[in-house]
Amino acid sequence: MSYYKLIWKSNLGFTIFGMIFITFFQFLILYLVTTFDTQAILVSVLKQMPPPMRAFLDQSFFSLLTFNGAAAFGFNHPLVLALLAIIAISIPVRHISREIENGTLEMLLSHPFSRKRLVLKLWTSSVFILGIIILVSFFGSIAAIEIFHELSNEVFIKILIIAFNLWLLFILIMSYTLFIASVSRGGGFSGSLSAMITFIFYLLFFLGELWVVMKPTLPFNIFNYFQPQKIMLGQADYWRDGGVLLATGAIMLIITLFKFQRRDIP
Amino acid sequence: MYSLRIIRAKDLTKFYGQTVGVNEISFEVDKGELFGFLGPNGAGKTTTIRLLLDLLRPTSGLIKIFGENIKTNSLEIRKRIGYLPGEFSAYHHLTGYEFLRLLSKLRNDSFDPGLELFDRFELSQKDLYKKIKELSHGTLQKLGIIQSLMHQPELLILDEPTTGLDPLMKEVFYELMLEKQQNGTTVFFSSHNLDEVEKLCERVAIIRKGEIVGLEYVSTLKAKAGQNIEIQLKEPMEKLELPNATLIDNNENTYRFRVTGKWPPVLKKLSELPVAEISITRPDLEDLFMDYYREKTQQ
Repeated sequence: MSYYKLIWKSNLGFTIFGMIFITFFQFLILYLVTTFDTQAILVSVLKQMPPPMRAFLDQSFFSLLTFNGAAAFGFNHPLVLALLAIIAISIPVRHISREIENGTLEMLLSHPFSRKRLVLKLWTSSVFILGIIILVSFFGSIAAIEIFHELSNEVFIKILIIAFNLWLLFILIMSYTLFIASVSRGGGFSGSLSAMITFIFYLLFFLGELWVVMKPTLPFNIFNYFQPQKIMLGQADYWRDGGVLLATGAIMLIITLFKFQRRDIP
Repeated sequence: MYSLRIIRAKDLTKFYGQTVGVNEISFEVDKGELFGFLGPNGAGKTTTIRLLLDLLRPTSGLIKIFGENIKTNSLEIRKRIGYLPGEFSAYHHLTGYEFLRLLSKLRNDSFDPGLELFDRFELSQKDLYKKIKELSHGTLQKLGIIQSLMHQPELLILDEPTTGLDPLMKEVFYELMLEKQQNGTTVFFSSHNLDEVEKLCERVAIIRKGEIVGLEYVSTLKAKAGQNIEIQLKEPMEKLELPNATLIDNNENTYRFRVTGKWPPVLKKLSELPVAEISITRPDLEDLFMDYYREKTQQ
């Protein structure tokens, strides 16, 4: 058994659950969109809201509740984001913080297995697990669009970009969790801190979208670089967004390699 | 000869913030030696072991294993070491076999499922195919010992290796250690079980509050220590003193002394006393250990 296989086996349950949940969720949303005239209902709800809220929601969700827009919305739903965040945070926390706490990391590192290899293998495994969940969900969405509606090349590519963008976002979240786990003493602290940071980013992103005073914070917010609605509308600079997410994730990985090399185990 | 020196620790210091882990400790272990590292919990045994394995980074000092600096050649050195941590733990969702296979893979070794060690430690196929979370503490410890030995390391570093083993398995372990020593394996092991250290080790280091307070051959230690004499008197005395002896313990009519000098003056004094019973024993390592502790605490 290799270290890759160990990580895969340790996270298999969560990975399968993630794939099924997101795919099922996409199917459900797309089924609802074909069954009800959701757009009409939501537009009437929208009219009752205060103007700033309406402007924000209009842009981010409801105007996109066309069939294809709903497919993008499924990848941006808080439930989906929360589930992916849990997976992205739990893998480094389980394999660094928890293993420091229960002594298995000490066991591994007493072997001729370098810290650099451990971090790189953990990072690549996590990237793979997140990728496979999102890939399956992507095919689920594509299948749902094909079943309930009609799949065009343009929509296929846009959904692919959204899925890729989502993957990069969660690689970044996993990377900063890995960094926190690699410098903290162990236990649940690193998971809580990482979850809190992710939640604060999410909250600030909403505030930045809603409140003009908070708008200058948007370029520093990770969620600003994942905007499926804009991708669907063809307004997103996805090369820039993807580049920022990937570069920040890579920087976090490099810092982690540096810090983990110097820390005490445990 | 330097080439036979397997471990060399010089002025090794580790601080955890303001707290001392170990302070300027120095010792050397030679090839084929069974070296005991003694001390109570929190004395610095595990810190020293983790420094030897490059798991902890020393505040200052030098460690050389197989003549190589652990700081710069850690991976190469660890290939030749077998390690059992004090609180051995494994992945609960794996079976024993899977866990051993994982560790073999980390060493780039092929795993031998028919290891003789399984028979010696009475670890059945059934145990090995069970999830680790289902194993008893003793069986888990056996698995820990096997993983440290299965690649035939040149140096064994064992932290409290017999914890959780039944007396029969402890004997198997002792036998195995002596065999390993005969084959030229060096064994560094920490313990607070003085009986096993006495049974196995030629040399011991005694660590207290992060400092080595004694580093001796067990035989030298015992020779220095003299003998214990326990005297039971027919009637109590207000104060009893013996020449060339130190009072260790007194309980009503019973007195325990450590005799470190010549015996004739002691016997002469004894002949003048109303002695009911008398017994002379060699002090065991526990007595010596306590002496070191008492001595250093008094200092």
